[in-house]
Amino acid sequence: MITVNGEPLDWKPGMTVQDVLDAKRYTFRMIGVWINDRPVPKNEFTTTEVPDGAVVQAVHMVSGG
Amino acid sequence: MRWLKTYAEKCINCGKCMDTCSKTYFKEENPSLSRVVVTNPGAGQNISVCNQCGACMAVCPTEALYRDKNGVVQLDKSKCTSCLMCVGFCPTGNMLYAASKQTEPFKCVACGLCAKACPTQALVLIND
Amino acid sequence: MEKMKVLAEWTYTPAPIERGYTRKTLYVNVGEPRMEIKDVSQDMIDTFTGGRGFDLKLLWDAVKDTTKWNDPENEIVLSGGPLCGITQYPGAGKCYAAFISPLSGQTYDSNSGGYWGPLSKFSGFDAVEIQGKAERDIILFINGDEGKIQILESNLKDLNAYAVTETLHEYFAVDEADKRNISVISTGKAAETSYYGCMNMSFYDTRRKVARLKQAGRGGGGTIMRDKKIAAMVVKFSKMGGNLNNVVDLDTLQKVGVKLHKEIHDLDDVQCKMRKVGTAHLNEIMDEYHLLPTNNYKFGQNPAEIAKIHSAVYERLFTQGMPDGCWYGCSMSCAKAVDGFTVQTGPCKGEKVTVDGPEYETVAALGSNIGVYDPLWTIEANFYADHYGMDTISLGTAIAFVCECYELGLINRNDTNGLDLKFGNKDDIMELIHRMAAGKDEFASMVAKGIRYMKKAFAEKFKADARTMEAIGMEGQGVETSEYVPKESIAQWGGYYLTLKGPQHDEAWLIFMDMVNKQLPTFEDKAEALHYFPNFRTWFSLVGLCKLPWNDVEPANNRIVNEPREAAKVPEHVQNYVDIFNAVTGKGIRKEDIITMSEKVYNFQRVFQVRMKQGEAFHNIPLRALGPVFPDEWEARREYYDGKLREIGIDPSGLSTEEKIKKLQEYRLGMWEGLKMAVYKRRGWNKKGIPTLETLKRLGIDYPDVVAVVEKYSKPEDNFE
Repeated sequence: MITVNGEPLDWKPGMTVQDVLDAKRYTFRMIGVWINDRPVPKNEFTTTEVPDGAVVQAVHMVSGG
Repeated sequence: MRWLKTYAEKCINCGKCMDTCSKTYFKEENPSLSRVVVTNPGAGQNISVCNQCGACMAVCPTEALYRDKNGVVQLDKSKCTSCLMCVGFCPTGNMLYAASKQTEPFKCVACGLCAKACPTQALVLIND
Repeated sequence: MEKMKVLAEWTYTPAPIERGYTRKTLYVNVGEPRMEIKDVSQDMIDTFTGGRGFDLKLLWDAVKDTTKWNDPENEIVLSGGPLCGITQYPGAGKCYAAFISPLSGQTYDSNSGGYWGPLSKFSGFDAVEIQGKAERDIILFINGDEGKIQILESNLKDLNAYAVTETLHEYFAVDEADKRNISVISTGKAAETSYYGCMNMSFYDTRRKVARLKQAGRGGGGTIMRDKKIAAMVVKFSKMGGNLNNVVDLDTLQKVGVKLHKEIHDLDDVQCKMRKVGTAHLNEIMDEYHLLPTNNYKFGQNPAEIAKIHSAVYERLFTQGMPDGCWYGCSMSCAKAVDGFTVQTGPCKGEKVTVDGPEYETVAALGSNIGVYDPLWTIEANFYADHYGMDTISLGTAIAFVCECYELGLINRNDTNGLDLKFGNKDDIMELIHRMAAGKDEFASMVAKGIRYMKKAFAEKFKADARTMEAIGMEGQGVETSEYVPKESIAQWGGYYLTLKGPQHDEAWLIFMDMVNKQLPTFEDKAEALHYFPNFRTWFSLVGLCKLPWNDVEPANNRIVNEPREAAKVPEHVQNYVDIFNAVTGKGIRKEDIITMSEKVYNFQRVFQVRMKQGEAFHNIPLRALGPVFPDEWEARREYYDGKLREIGIDPSGLSTEEKIKKLQEYRLGMWEGLKMAVYKRRGWNKKGIPTLETLKRLGIDYPDVVAVVEKYSKPEDNFE
């Protein structure tokens, strides 16, 4: 189990940051991700694994008119 | 098209091209005012100068940048509003500016004076 | 066109600009007629900065407590601000307009791109103030080249925006190249009946060879123009240059500007794609997050139809590869256009036109919110809204209200004079828009006056149920809500309905931060955000900048070097603003000063509202903005809403959907009151939302007439402990 923005999400072995975003249907382009308060660069979303028990913040940056 | 071709491997970093360029257009020998920029990042010389690709023309809001009959991209200062978008959008970083001299940007117009000054033919003016 | 008759003419010497200011404002009374050039004091600069601040200060002095929108003393005041007109930093051509609004009866401020703001400053004026009412249609012409102000008798045959703008660019220019030295403010025929008439501000697109229109759309500025019988306001200034603001530190201004140009060049394609699709990239995103208003905000998405209005569809319609900045130097270039569009209906039927591409708000307002999923129709509706002079947001939200009333049977086809106004019935909706402009159809004229007016008129005339309309009419303070579903974000209730002037989107957009990121868990967190963001964004309106380059692109390392909550403020860009403000004005402000500068004007405007509303400047919120009103809304997200009840300790099993809705409404109304009090307190207001004397003193806006308003309407029992 991990938490994403305070809500629980089932953890699977090998789960990447991108998998987490897909599971939450977070399709917004301007998302910053922090795992246990450590930022993950956007180009590493598909390669960075999320450890079990992690606290994930997927922060949607504001944009638009 | 007239443009300046560079042969970095021949360059001896004497600085004559930059002195000539800045002297010609800004009346002082000052490499930071030169349109051709020679640097030495470690492994040999690097010569950076406009290749007349014209990407700047596409972003200019006033069509102040245009290609002359020789294929050289020129700036019509009377139309320029000094927004410097061309500086930010130049793919090779060769649109330059210096607030102390003028509000408008400046660039290589392939005049060839630097090539004449170069003792090793590291810069050659091409007409093709 | 034949030469227009000069009704009045004055000459002046344009004041030079120093550090972003001319220190002069222009006053024109189009009724008397009279012209005056006023000095700008140092105190006015220190307190109000410029732009919207100057607008409100001049408006305050011009109106009485009892002034109505259509009284001659109401004004349209226009100002750019000290940074307006710089070319080195993206988004520096904004013009801010303020007036007493026909929709809300209090001040409204609305802003637009285009060249009016910069060109009027270069012509010598930090602000332009228009008062009085002309007897017949006139054109106000500010000739900055010759130092001449003229009131001309209009001989325009067509008063609609595209026609007016094109004709006047032609009329005042000596040749094709001269057209870009002109900016025209126009509205249209619908502004003569509508309360949400818009102002279109033009710039001439030299590549397309057409005048483009940007809008100060909201609040009814266009309505006031027509009430004053102003057909257009025109400014001309030809001696454009790279440093007309005479800035203190051009070197810094250039360096900071180039840095952002490069950032946009490198990152826009992978971030917001403003250069390719503008704000229309939000369509499918908002749908995914249940935020795209659908059928009068009943729903937040429509999975069956969204593909039809995906931004990729719009991207194909927009002409690509053109510099689309609405002022020189805007590399964000979001002003999209559809070239060669053939109009299908109405008086322009068959004409090929260039339409300024719909922004996200318009795509939603004249699209999903009225049940239409047809980009070509939306582009046509956008064209006519601009042409006829109507705000696309109020128009869309008002029509959405009408469609729902119609489907609920509150009004019928007899009432609508034959139109079948079901959601998505686009032919009849388009006909309604044409009738608004024609001004002869009584029903269309009611729709044109906005939701607050319709609620009363439908109840009186059609015996429509007032309570239902109160629940579903998406207006706050008389102004139609802009195009985001606010239901599931408590902070956004405040972002929309605890605003100075009604639910627009230029104070605070907190939905992601609150609802998705969960960064604002307590009332205090939300109140802090509802203090910081509205004030931060107010600053743009004081100095003459556009909001978009602030956070529609961010530095590549923004989320690496900043913790999440800080990252949302884009600290590097905030520093850019401090640097460019200082580079222009030489003032030496720090980051924190941005908020204080804004607070002065924000609180002044709040007192202004209290003054115009005789103490009753209330913040209302419709039930639809707080959650589901009807069972189908609940059932569309049953699991989600049942969960919301469980979260507050209510077991949904055994309850009917109506009972569930009632329980959630009761709870959320309580939350709304809690939010309101937390926000008022944080802003330094009392329980009635009136700034306290201490707040006025802290901000240095304790002018005797401001203090008098606060003292008149504040009661001791309304103070927070």
